[in-house]
Amino acid sequence: MPAIEWIRFGLVVFFILFGLSIFFLEIFGVYRFKFVLNRMQIAATGDTLGIGLCLVGLMIANGWNAATAKMALVIVFLWCASPVSSHVIARLEYTTDETLMENCRIVTIEEAEAEGETENGDI
Amino acid sequence: MSKIRKQSEYEKTFAYRFFRWLGGEKDIFVGNMEMQPQKEYVEEEATIEERMKDRQQAMAEVYDGSHNMELRFFKILYKIFSVVFCIAIMAVLILTVSYLPEVGDPNRPTSNIVTETYISDGLGDTGAVNIVTGMILSYRAFDTFGETNVLFIATCCVMIMLMVDEDKIKKNKDSNDRGFEPKNDVILQVIAKFLVPIVFLFGIYIILNGHLSPGGGFSGGAMIGAGMILYVAAFGFDKTEKFFNEHVYKVIKVTALLCYGCIVTYYFLTGANGLECLILLGEPGKILSGGITLPINIFVGSEVACTMYAFYALFRRGGL
Repeated sequence: MPAIEWIRFGLVVFFILFGLSIFFLEIFGVYRFKFVLNRMQIAATGDTLGIGLCLVGLMIANGWNAATAKMALVIVFLWCASPVSSHVIARLEYTTDETLMENCRIVTIEEAEAEGETENGDI
Repeated sequence: MSKIRKQSEYEKTFAYRFFRWLGGEKDIFVGNMEMQPQKEYVEEEATIEERMKDRQQAMAEVYDGSHNMELRFFKILYKIFSVVFCIAIMAVLILTVSYLPEVGDPNRPTSNIVTETYISDGLGDTGAVNIVTGMILSYRAFDTFGETNVLFIATCCVMIMLMVDEDKIKKNKDSNDRGFEPKNDVILQVIAKFLVPIVFLFGIYIILNGHLSPGGGFSGGAMIGAGMILYVAAFGFDKTEKFFNEHVYKVIKVTALLCYGCIVTYYFLTGANGLECLILLGEPGKILSGGITLPINIFVGSEVACTMYAFYALFRRGGL
């Protein structure tokens, strides 16, 4: 059935190109941003979303076999590891940087709920 | 019967000086070598002023890009030439790669009698299905022994440089900042609780299956060491000290190295002299097979795991 094959090929191309563009954004951002937490955020995005999308594309291209299951495990492992390492970096920055308040506004969870907004809150 | 020498006579002998040096009673450098305590470098006011003036002058006259045409020209030339240089190197490397023989080409120069012998006789000689592990742990066991020794000596050197005495920590309790670290991170602890057993199991699997599937002592040991580092980062040294302290570390490292040396020496001695070797090759494909590959994998794995953890612990707090 060539139609299904073409749809699969299109999905693979879409996922891998999307993942690669996110990788490009990550590398651009890591060198472009100056503040630690911004760089941490963009690096974590690349490590989770970029690798995840690329691996999903490869899984679709590979079909159903043991290698696909291993790639799914790799995705699970990366999604465990990368956000946690970013969280640890952010926590270390929060505890050690004395000039943190100059660069960003710190909102606790209670304050954010009171204001009804959470997108500006760091940590 | 041996005669007991007089103390004054004994003090002249080489043995007396040697054992005194061995016991650390006398520093051989004291009195024989000129030694001065380090002094703090103090700069005079005049030299500071002079240096600042020089710097201002240099910034104004030499590094002024808008007036110094030579400098501006050099900067432009530098950028152009750096780009040209990088492109030239890339072109040369890519050209070289395109002339290399293909992977698996039977006519390329590296596929000679050595490769053929390894592939045809490897399974029969070593009993390991994984040819690479059979190669590095049986044919080249002494080479791997040297690598394991390198790991051992590296940890010894790091210990000499970074190990902190406990009396010194007690003496300088106020200035000791090794305990101040962000600890008890709930997110990290949950993830570590979930991941560390998996990492340990996978590392042990890779070590024990080294002669059957890709892997072996080095990669599996690195994995176990990484799992231990993750555990320490999440839960602190109090938890790991229960099962892994300096004593356990010493026992594991020395035992692994000694057993490795003994096994390899025995294997090579019997093999070279045509004697019967007690270590059987076993049936290929079974877990208990591969001759000396399996025990050596275990010893190398424990050595590498200890090295990884020791480096982390020594760099982080100056002790195991």
